[in-house]
This record gives sequence, C-alpha cells and structure tokens, in this order.
Amino acid sequence: MSPERSVPTTYPKCNPTEMLGLLVLLNSHKGSEDVALLADDLDLEIDEILPSLEYAEVLQLVKVTEGRATFTDLGKRLVQGTIRDRKGIIREQLRRTTLFRTLLRALDNSPDHCLSDEQLGQIVSFTTAPADEAVQNIVNWGRYADLFRYDAGQHRLVAVLTPASGRTGGNRPPPTGGPTSRGGGPVTEPRSARGRPASETTEPPPSGVVPVLA
Amino acid sequence: MSLIRIEHVDKSYASRHGTISIMQDVSFTVKDSDFLAIVGPSGCGKSTLLRLIQGLDRPSAGRIYFQDRPVDRVCKKMAMVFQSFALYPWLTVSQNVAFGLEALGWPEERIGPQVERYVSVTGLDGFQEAFPRELSGGMRQRVGLARALAVEPAVLLMDEPFSALDPLTAENLREEVLQLWRDPQLPPDAVLLVSHNIEEAIELADRVIVLSRRPGHILAEVEVTLPRPRDRKSAAFYELTDRVYSLITAGGQSLATAPAPEGAGRSGEAL
Repeated sequence: MSPERSVPTTYPKCNPTEMLGLLVLLNSHKGSEDVALLADDLDLEIDEILPSLEYAEVLQLVKVTEGRATFTDLGKRLVQGTIRDRKGIIREQLRRTTLFRTLLRALDNSPDHCLSDEQLGQIVSFTTAPADEAVQNIVNWGRYADLFRYDAGQHRLVAVLTPASGRTGGNRPPPTGGPTSRGGGPVTEPRSARGRPASETTEPPPSGVVPVLA
Repeated sequence: MSLIRIEHVDKSYASRHGTISIMQDVSFTVKDSDFLAIVGPSGCGKSTLLRLIQGLDRPSAGRIYFQDRPVDRVCKKMAMVFQSFALYPWLTVSQNVAFGLEALGWPEERIGPQVERYVSVTGLDGFQEAFPRELSGGMRQRVGLARALAVEPAVLLMDEPFSALDPLTAENLREEVLQLWRDPQLPPDAVLLVSHNIEEAIELADRVIVLSRRPGHILAEVEVTLPRPRDRKSAAFYELTDRVYSLITAGGQSLATAPAPEGAGRSGEAL
C-alpha cells in the first residue's frame, strides 16, 4: 500500500491460548530451552511454534538468542500468575504495541467508537500476510485482553468503555437483525475490494459470514 | 475421606450376538483433592465408567457411592467436560455457562454473578457475547470448563478434554485445569480425567488407573509423585510412561483374541 500507511508493527500470527501454551511449555523446561527441543517436546516442527514464539517476543515475555528461548522477568511473572493475572499482563503488553495502540486510537477517534472489518483491514494492510487471517487474530487477541469487543453480526470492532475515556463507546453491541449497513463509521478511504471469503466458516450463519477466530 | 467408592462394578450390554461385557470387577476410590486419571485402550470402557460414576447410566453389577451414598440418579455434585465441547451453538458464551445453573433451578438473581465469576476465572472475559462458532477450540473448551465449574461440583469429570485441541493449546489448558484444581477457593475438590494419552495422564494426575482391553479391568494403580510442572523428558517421567505402556500391552497379550492396539500414537506413548 502507500508508503504513509506502512506503520511499523508486527501482528499476531497465533491466538492467545497457543502463545500461553508455549510459555507453559517453556516453564516446564525451567524457563530456558533450545527452540528445537521445545518443539520436539510436543512432537512439533519448529515452524509450528515460531508464531507463538515470535509474538511472545513482541510482548517482551521471552527473549530468543542463538536459538534458545528464555523468559524475561515479565514472562516469568506471567507463568507464575493466575489465569486472570496472565490476562492482565497480556493486556498491558498489547497496549504497548504499535498495532494495538493504533487500533485503540482509531476506535477512540471514530464517532461511534466502532471500526468495520474493512477499516480494520486497511489498518493492517501493510502486513504481507493474508488480511483475513490477520484480522481474525487481532480480533481474538483484543477480545481476549478485553481491549475491545467484536460485533460478529455487523463485523465491527466496538470500543470497550474505559473510565479514562469517559465515553460509552457502545460497550454492548446491539443485537443484530439480518444484514445491515456497516456501523456508520467514518470511511475515509475507498473500501477495500478484499472481502471476507465465504469459505471461512463451514456453517453459514443467518446474517452474513462470521469469521472463525483462529 | 473417600469422595467416591466404586465397588466391583460390571457393565455389559445385550446385543444380537449375546451379551457384550464392557468392564469387569472395577473397584477404586476417589479421595478428596485427588487428581485421578484413567487410561486404557479404545473400547475399554473409560468413558462408560465416567457415565456410571455421574449416574447417567447404571452398572450391571456392583455399586458406586458418592460421599457414602449410593449413586442411583444423576449426581448434581459432579460435572462433565467433553472432548467435543458440547456447547449450544445458538447460545452465547454467557448463556452456555448459565445453562447448567438454570437446569439446576438456581434463582435468577444468583445466576448472573455466578456466570460472571466463572467466565472470569477461566479467562473468558471479553467473549461473553460471542457465539461458539466465533471461538477457537481452546476458547470453546474454556466455555465447557466454565459451564462445568459454575455449578461448583465436588468432582470434575473430564472425558478426553484435550484431544481435540492443537498441541500448544492443549498444553495451556492442561496447566490451567491444574491451576483451578489447586485453588482452594474454587471447585472442584477432585478431578477424574479419562485419557488415551499416557503422557498426559502422568503429567497431570497423582494416581493413574490403568485399564485393560475390553472387558476393562484394572491392571494397576500407579502413583505419580513427580513435582509439578512435570518435565516429560526427565528419566523418571520416561520410566513411569514405560511402566504404564508395558502394563497395557502385557494386559492385552493375556487375551488371546485381543486385536492389535488401535491407533498407536506418537512414539508409542498414546494408545
């Protein structure tokens, strides 16, 4: 896309439970292990754990040097915490990433505090990966960390009310009844022709296609 | 104190070809705060055993007691987590979690807070309004777990709960189940896990009950005292895995007509 859209960022290529699984696995190896041996422990190929490893590095939970993965102090704290503690740490770390900062700002600036899939797709279109997969993973992480909600009926992100913002932001998406127009958000650029493929789900839901969140 | 006592339980079904015996003379005890795994080859009656324990089915002979009372109907102090998640696709996450409470006749005003609590402890905050089809397998199984825990069961029954998940997600959920079980503020007191995966059983449980091929009978009860988190590559872990695996294969050889092990899995550790 155009150069000014090339926001430097890495988007998650795994879902939260996979990355957490990798951290749990590393913990059972006393917090530091050769990446190949980690993969081998679950009878996986290295490239099957790389997406989780990469995102754990982005979130500064793990450091990889010379093929060896080691917890950072924060990573250690995360695996020692409860399910809720872990969520809190991931939430804070996601907020620090350029990608989620950009998204939260865009949600905040949108008059109805919503972003359609297309708008989200435009924000992540600088990545080389298939946009649909990127959108699904981002939605999944944002939801997991309670940074935003997702209205699957209308295919849009919805801001979560935060005390700081003082805005309602449509915390609870309204029930959707059949095909509707996109949430009326400010579409400042022509919509991308890149639609969501119908093959994403095996059972067609009644009102359009709902992404299967990886 | 013994939470569940299983005494000389037989289970058989009538068929056109005569009576098929599923299990024979199975006896063991589940104590408070036990994490017990039941392993054995396909068809040895592992899942049937869970159904008998919960009172969903009756033994052909023998008795099952829960807190010293015979189990003669569905026991409300037990809840099951399934391999297939068994969620209602038309209900949201919160509604799925509420379902069991509604079925038990909880007063409406207590259902909301209870659902919120168990959505939160299982890490499902943010997904309350999602439908199962929007969730990954790991998140779906968390809904299954939240729904089971919300009724505050004394015993959590888990029937191959990690088998349908990718390896990393399964790794995460196994650890989270251990975390929930160890938290004294949270149910359940005891966990009964059925698995065909010997490594998984040894990684999680304090005791592993090894069943033979059909008709299932107990070959051994193996204590696992390794400290957690358990290192699957350690010598002690290998030794236990080998022991259980040999027990099952030896148990099979004693039956002249027994078929070869089905679907022998990774490195021969899973059956």
